[in-house]
Amino acid sequence: MKKLILQLSFLVFLMIGTIQSNAQEYYVYVTAESEDEVAVIKFDGKKATVEERIVVGTKPAEIEGPHGITVGPEGKYWYLSMAHGTPYGQLVKYSTETNEPVATTELGIFPASMQISKANGLLYVVNFNLHGRMLPSSVSVVDPELMFEIKKITTGAMPHGSRISPDGLHQYSVAMMSGELFEISTLGLEVSRVLDLEPPGTRPKEDKSQKEAKVDHSKMDHSQMDHSQMGHEEMMHHSIVKPTWVIPHPSLSRAYVAGNGSNELIEIDTKKWKVTHRMSCGKGPYNVEISPNGKLLVVTYKSEGATGIWDIATREELAKVTNSRKVSHGVAISPDSKYAFISVEGKNGEPGSVDVIDLTTFERVAVAEVGKQAGGIVFWKMMK
Amino acid sequence: MTPNRLLIKPTLTLLSLVFALTFSFGQSDITVMPEKVSLDVGESTTLKASIKGDDGKVVEDAQFLFFTRRRKGGGAVEVDSTGLVTAKLPGEAIVIVIYPHPDGKYLRANIPVSIAYPALSRIEFNEPPQNILTDIPTAISATILDKMDLDRNDLEISFSSSDPKIASFDAFNNLTGHQPGKITIMAKVEDITAKFDIKIEKNPVEDIQLTASVDEALSGDVINFEAQTMDKSGKMVKAPVTFTFQGKSAEQSEFAGGLIKPDGRFVAYQPGVYTITAVCGKNSAQKVVRIGDRQEVIKRDIQLVGKGSVTDKHTSDLWVWEGVDGRDYAVTGTWGADGEAFFWDVTDPANMTPIDTVKVDARTVNDVKVSEDGRICIISREGASNRKNGIIIFDVSDPTNVWKISEYSDGLTGGVHNLFIYDNHVFALSNAERYDIINIEDPAAPYKVGEYEIPTPGHSIHDVWVVDGIAYSSNWHDGVHIVDVGNGIAGGTPAKPVLITSFTYPSGWNHAAFPFFSKSTGKFYVIAGDEAFPYGLHVKDNPVIAAGWLHVFDVTDMENPVEVAKYEVEGAGSHNFWIEGETLYVANYNAGLRVVDISGELLGDLRAQGREMGWFISTDPKGYVPNAAFTWGPQPHKGHIFFSDWNSGLWSVKMEEKRLKN
Repeated sequence: MKKLILQLSFLVFLMIGTIQSNAQEYYVYVTAESEDEVAVIKFDGKKATVEERIVVGTKPAEIEGPHGITVGPEGKYWYLSMAHGTPYGQLVKYSTETNEPVATTELGIFPASMQISKANGLLYVVNFNLHGRMLPSSVSVVDPELMFEIKKITTGAMPHGSRISPDGLHQYSVAMMSGELFEISTLGLEVSRVLDLEPPGTRPKEDKSQKEAKVDHSKMDHSQMDHSQMGHEEMMHHSIVKPTWVIPHPSLSRAYVAGNGSNELIEIDTKKWKVTHRMSCGKGPYNVEISPNGKLLVVTYKSEGATGIWDIATREELAKVTNSRKVSHGVAISPDSKYAFISVEGKNGEPGSVDVIDLTTFERVAVAEVGKQAGGIVFWKMMK
Repeated sequence: MTPNRLLIKPTLTLLSLVFALTFSFGQSDITVMPEKVSLDVGESTTLKASIKGDDGKVVEDAQFLFFTRRRKGGGAVEVDSTGLVTAKLPGEAIVIVIYPHPDGKYLRANIPVSIAYPALSRIEFNEPPQNILTDIPTAISATILDKMDLDRNDLEISFSSSDPKIASFDAFNNLTGHQPGKITIMAKVEDITAKFDIKIEKNPVEDIQLTASVDEALSGDVINFEAQTMDKSGKMVKAPVTFTFQGKSAEQSEFAGGLIKPDGRFVAYQPGVYTITAVCGKNSAQKVVRIGDRQEVIKRDIQLVGKGSVTDKHTSDLWVWEGVDGRDYAVTGTWGADGEAFFWDVTDPANMTPIDTVKVDARTVNDVKVSEDGRICIISREGASNRKNGIIIFDVSDPTNVWKISEYSDGLTGGVHNLFIYDNHVFALSNAERYDIINIEDPAAPYKVGEYEIPTPGHSIHDVWVVDGIAYSSNWHDGVHIVDVGNGIAGGTPAKPVLITSFTYPSGWNHAAFPFFSKSTGKFYVIAGDEAFPYGLHVKDNPVIAAGWLHVFDVTDMENPVEVAKYEVEGAGSHNFWIEGETLYVANYNAGLRVVDISGELLGDLRAQGREMGWFISTDPKGYVPNAAFTWGPQPHKGHIFFSDWNSGLWSVKMEEKRLKN
């Protein structure tokens, strides 16, 4: 009997060891905008840990603001936009093997979110120009192999949320201040379509949104987006929606926009190129991602410190998960659609964090603390 | 929404359709012919790109993306969507050809393009002299232009004289006349030539009288030498004179260095005996001057008086002032932390006491300033969690009980890195683009009255400082802008700033600027400081090594600012600085606090001349980064020098009155 117990114990031990050795590990990169730092986070299914903190930038006495981040499709390099320059920001290419920078190129003012098209390997990054004058900004198209800017494509005022269609043929971004969705042909390198996201009848007829108006856009509180405080009757129409992000669906002809100012999610039929649904949501929706299986939409509510999980089929919010800090920011979802990784900025000297949300139980299952003002986040790899 | 902005471009639709068709094929490789391209400027060729499917057959109607990049030598081509390549500028370029594929199987080829330089067009002499005097070498230069009018400075010109007996060239293109006569100067590159005639006249100078403004001086003093040239009869004649010097140091191990300018201004860097020589043709004159050791006169010991340690976060700028109660106070900001600013009682600099703390929504309070009457303090905000940033205005009438009067962020949400307070106005940097001028006569209701922004593309501002109604802004590669913001010298007001003058320097590192009216000379200088970190980042655990120096510009003639001197500590870099009287106080990052004598005329390398009066390295083993001095900003106040250090907080030191003995 004793022998049998010993044998069973050994078997259990082996099984646990096997399970443990087969445990799935998930890795994400996350930026800390007020720390000039990028962290590598590992999540083993239970615990999220900071594997490495990478100091970025070139000026120790200036905050250079790492904002957008993406990993190349081949996984060999990751790319980081540095928001603040003199005055132009930069794109920096890092090796995923060493996390050391290998090349840089100059972009526009306050470059932010980005993605690489799998159709041609080119990188599309928005020049957010968050605090600049209310003028149309641009999307920079970069050759990430030779690291140079091929072209700046003019879009709207304060473009954000650069995301590319699953076939790599279209890049989408929203213009926060002019309330528009832009589609760029990744092959033609031109704007192919523009969609007005404002509710019907709300845009003045004499909108000068794309003309140079003597408007100081920085008079606005961009985080709270309280239009009533801006006092700029003489200025251009400012978006009511204030879209901050757009994500195309991985298989359906749809895209979803975060209406940060109107507290809504906007569903767009990308074939018909029109708004099909407007769904009220939590306060200050900011970033949106869709699970690779196409079933769930995960949205950060920046003004609530929470994350919403929506059923795409029913257009209903399934859960709202409180984040570990007050200012929720970015979303990355694992390729197996099991976990959402949420970057949460924090306030003042408070560390930023990455919350891991189980997309089957809708519970926050782990938190990793990172540098101040955690922002851009990208899924890197799964390993066993 | 205007209709044209909603237009679906037919070309793009067609393009997508074509791609949709071609994507239905598999493909194995991309072929671009030719694999290398050589063109003359203006010449065109079409790249033929193709791919083969899995069946080995060429895919029909395949579409490709073409774009280009300059490479070595600035070569430039244009390429259109059909692969037509047109050479624009000589040098090397590359054309990138991509065959897109929605499954991620895109193919790519990089085609090198070599663009030949155009044929040479002509040689143009640069201000060729019509006549020269014998025995005085004169530099001759010319510019080679090709048929695109590009300056071909990659080529070397060969100069020759039609009669070397009259005048000949040395190896460095200096022409020296040997006897009177007329010759022709020839310049030649490949088969292109140019020439001009020149007359060689006999040098009439037979004597030179050399005088000096003083016979004895200290290292760093500027001595003016004047050379009068005279002919055989003793009559003064005009002729070019070259000044040189030779010196012997008083110290066996030192070299007697110095600087002499073409106009005869001389400054010695070391104590010793210097012989200045004025040369005109075969005639010369010499004058000996004795140089004493400036260090013997000015060197002072700087002693630590007190510390207001801040070791759990980085400290930024400081401001020291006399409060309305007659006591002395300081405010320090914090950097990359939690938005705090600390107020200190520094009446006894040996016991600097924290008396109040304010905390605002920010990660960095980079700058702090206090009004002249000691009642209003303004602080800057960067990294606010709500991205509002802007400035906060405090009442510091009682610095033990600081209270917020108002905040102002209109137009300043991009972050205020530096600011200044002057005559009821705040000058606040906005988004590193411009400075806004904000009226705070009623500090509870600030409002913007004006702004100043450089019109050049890609400009960026870093700092602004205001003295006597004139703003001195520092703008990296756009240098220093001196703007009338109320002085009236150029008709400027806070609501309507007017540019007086500006100057730049090649590095583009301009980070700070401070005006200096030199009482001892009547000159007006502006000192422009660098900030640079070419040696990388060591923010958290290792000392940072900075670079850069202070550039001294003589702006006495506002129309023609001239860089005349520099102050550099090798292996370190300058940051903020202050001038009181004729003394310069420099926060030199890893080289600590430096105090520099800037009395008299300034010329050449001020540190090499022994003008550094003293130094203090703010090393703190308990610092945020231990033992890593990173001195941020100094301010002299009532006989003490206060300064902030990024890693250790507030310091007070005192420069001894007594001269040190070596």
